[in-house]
Amino acid sequence: MKLLPFLLPALLGASSALATTYPLTLTDDLGRKVTIQSEPKRLISVLPSNTETLCALGVCDRLVGVDDYSDFPAQVTKLPKVGGLYNPNIEAMVAQKPDLVVVSKYGKLAEPLTAAGITVVAVNPETFDDVFSKTQLLGRIVNRETQAKNLVIQMRRDIARTEVLTRAAVRKPTAYYEVDPTPYTVGPNSFIGVLLSKAGAVNIIPASLGDFPKISPELVVQKSPQLILGLDLATAKARPGWAGIAAVKSGRVLKLPAELETILGRPGPRLPQALAGLARLVHPELFR
Amino acid sequence: MSALERSGQAALSRPVRWRPGRTALLLLAVVCSVLLAVGLGSVSISLPETLRAFGHGLSGQALSGSEVIVWQLRLPRVALGLLVGACLSVCGGAFQGVFRNPLADPYLMGVASGAALGATVSLVLDWPAAVTPVAALVGAMLSVALALALARSGRRFPPARLILSGVVVGSIMTAIGTYLMLHGEDRLRQVYSFTLGNLAFGGWAQVRVVLPYAVLGGGLLVLLGRALNVLSLGDLTARSLGLPVERLRLLVIVAASLATAAAVSYAGIIGFVGLVTPHLVRRLWGSDYRVLLPISALAGGGLLVLSDLLARTLTRPTELPVGVVTTLLGGPFFLYLLRRQGQIE
Repeated sequence: MKLLPFLLPALLGASSALATTYPLTLTDDLGRKVTIQSEPKRLISVLPSNTETLCALGVCDRLVGVDDYSDFPAQVTKLPKVGGLYNPNIEAMVAQKPDLVVVSKYGKLAEPLTAAGITVVAVNPETFDDVFSKTQLLGRIVNRETQAKNLVIQMRRDIARTEVLTRAAVRKPTAYYEVDPTPYTVGPNSFIGVLLSKAGAVNIIPASLGDFPKISPELVVQKSPQLILGLDLATAKARPGWAGIAAVKSGRVLKLPAELETILGRPGPRLPQALAGLARLVHPELFR
Repeated sequence: MSALERSGQAALSRPVRWRPGRTALLLLAVVCSVLLAVGLGSVSISLPETLRAFGHGLSGQALSGSEVIVWQLRLPRVALGLLVGACLSVCGGAFQGVFRNPLADPYLMGVASGAALGATVSLVLDWPAAVTPVAALVGAMLSVALALALARSGRRFPPARLILSGVVVGSIMTAIGTYLMLHGEDRLRQVYSFTLGNLAFGGWAQVRVVLPYAVLGGGLLVLLGRALNVLSLGDLTARSLGLPVERLRLLVIVAASLATAAAVSYAGIIGFVGLVTPHLVRRLWGSDYRVLLPISALAGGGLLVLSDLLARTLTRPTELPVGVVTTLLGGPFFLYLLRRQGQIE
């Protein structure tokens, strides 16, 4: 206990050391070296997951524009819209006089905006681990490192809570997750794939096929998963040869609720909710 | 009788030459493709099991295990491939004849972009999956109707105007579709996949729907072979021989568009087969439409079955879009033939 007087200042010192020092130079997700001269006060985000992260870090009020798809938290829906990934409205972005635009690495916005004299940083959370590292990166960028650290701890804690539950599940159903009826699915190492296994399901797709494979329906029939997520029972039944799949026979074919589908597509601060929602579908018996 | 009419009469009375050797070889190739396509797939199934599936399927017995894959997934998929490939090739051949244009393909009258627009509307508005092919069919037929209405000049349908209105209607449909896609970005890949063709969910139900259109439309075109021969001599000659040119042209367009639209609604837009197959056949069998159209049907069906087999086995158990394979397979072969033929002439 005698150490406390010594430790306390050290701890406080550590937390104050978390303040970002500007100019801050970093390599963004486009592989560009970006220098941010001072703490950004006027932000534009063109990726819904980044918008959510920035708001979770407490800088929602600094946003002066978002893309057409950012809709959470509710307050961002009132902000000026600056287009989507494929139809960006660069003039609208420039008109907002942002001091930083957080872009996606897709969509080719970096060049024209940089040419217009605006600092641009590309941040693209894609994998499960990215969600945490990019949260901390965004925290550094907007001088909210402590908040970012706390947010990550909070998220990890909420995720662990669900994981503890699903790990206790006796039977883990084999599952097929359909992204769209082309049919595209998810590999176990993809963002959704990781969530699926954390939710207590066994993905029928081998990791070797990659994160986002377009598969043959033959494969699903052969593996006969016990759970199908991403389409409704009637559609599954109507597909040639699918009526005999275990999940179709037992009726465990579930279209995702719209809200869950949205957050599953957003590698951001609502990741624990996405996991909980998925776990509820995979193991309803654990959440009674 | 004028010289023109004499040459027309000569063309009419020419005997049908089937080139039995080549035809037998083609038939063999198609049969082999079908057998391979049923036997191979993203999932490996042994030959005895495949045969057992046939036996059980034909006798209506209950199917077990991988027999389901053979009988309910592969076989109908192959059947749909044959039908769609045949349909597209016959329609392509008939269009090339009726428009006397080597670049004509089954999508000439805006069928493809109309179907794509119909499918896009259905996908972006999140209509039930079963509605998408219907929407595609409606879109395709609306496009053709629009193109025909715009090309009409009195009671005539001049070929150049038909081609132009078909192309322009197609472009307009594509533009509307693109606009809609931008507003439903998350459906982008589904729409894109439709435009690359997909036989993945071709089941017996789909085969049953496409079959009557293909048989009626394609069959009618094949029966019109003699008339198409005359038409290939030019409107003037054809008219002087008493052929109702305008009505014939309209009949061919409607029959071909209907068959193509039906095929597209379930299989998506499979490029190249319908354009290239008739050319390949023309080089090997000659340009007599009485032979050209039925042989094109056979060759086109075989080509699509083979392409689909490659699409689902090259990277198994993942799949490639079949439209990519048809083009990569048919394109170079066509160019090779083009070059070789050029040297002979």
